[in-house]
Amino acid sequence: MKDFNNKNPFKTPEGYFEDFSRGLMKRLAEKDTDIPRNEGFIVPDAYFEGIHKDILQKLEAEKTKVIPLHRYKKYYFAAASIAAVALVAFMLNRNLSQEITFEDIANIDIENYFEDNSLDLSTYEIAEVVPVDELEIGDILSKELNEDMILNYLDNNTENFEELNMEYDE
Amino acid sequence: MIAEETLVQDLQHPETRSQAFEVLVDTYKQRLYWHIRRIVLNHDDADDVLQNTFIKVYKNIKGFKGESKLYSWMYRIATNEALTLLKSNAKKLDVGSGELQDRMLGNLKADVYFEGDAIQLKLQKAMATLPEKQKLVFNMKYFEELKYTEISEILETSVGGLKASYHLAVKKIEAYLKEEA
Repeated sequence: MKDFNNKNPFKTPEGYFEDFSRGLMKRLAEKDTDIPRNEGFIVPDAYFEGIHKDILQKLEAEKTKVIPLHRYKKYYFAAASIAAVALVAFMLNRNLSQEITFEDIANIDIENYFEDNSLDLSTYEIAEVVPVDELEIGDILSKELNEDMILNYLDNNTENFEELNMEYDE
Repeated sequence: MIAEETLVQDLQHPETRSQAFEVLVDTYKQRLYWHIRRIVLNHDDADDVLQNTFIKVYKNIKGFKGESKLYSWMYRIATNEALTLLKSNAKKLDVGSGELQDRMLGNLKADVYFEGDAIQLKLQKAMATLPEKQKLVFNMKYFEELKYTEISEILETSVGGLKASYHLAVKKIEAYLKEEA
């Protein structure tokens, strides 16, 4: 093996390089974050042993709640057809030109929908569905973007510079 | 352990169904329980959601086509059930999700099934500051030790997006723990 230390007076403790890899591996195996692994949650004694029985009981209880409807089935069909005819007649009598279009939906309704339906999309997910290749920057920006603006934005909004250049291992 | 495909077939067959269901519950009860518990925090809610999850699986297994893996399908049901419970709790109490999180943390201190010390309570507080998705990803990666490919199948999100979410979650939790120390 090539001796890398043939021109300088420094020395290392005996066996230093042999132990170095081992020590390094040990340090790498140590936890790399201070976030605790134990969360403090516990379960009642023998909870998991009894869960199958509990589920079966719940399933059984749900089954017994079902009331058969077959006896009255023919009346339902008759009632449904009468209701359908009445509904169609009612709809036809209304002003047909008053068809609801997308524009009629108040913006607030749409906003409420997004609010209530937890469309928690990250920028990555949005980027996946929006065809970025076909977009021009002018499509989404009303003002022209110049270098100063970008630098200003990054200056004000970047807490950790490393985040701009993320690389991950699985 | 019984192969997933065989288990699904047995679950879909009336004669083998109940036995296969017992195997299914035994195989997944703990994993799913902890996944749910980390979302709803208290044991009673976790128990409810776990039971509902298995009941949904039992009732819908006939329609299971095997397009995704059985476990990711079950995780998905469990996640949806847990998040739905949180939403309905918030509605019942007429509070927003932030306020609900605060109340859940408050209840944790008095919970007989929470033995956490100050650090663990602080960890829960840190997690409560995360957006829903980041919290899910963090739990699944850090505590449940699922692979990104598995999480990707469960949450139907790209691996790249998950890695970014996880990275951000770790940074935020670490910063919170350091700040509040």
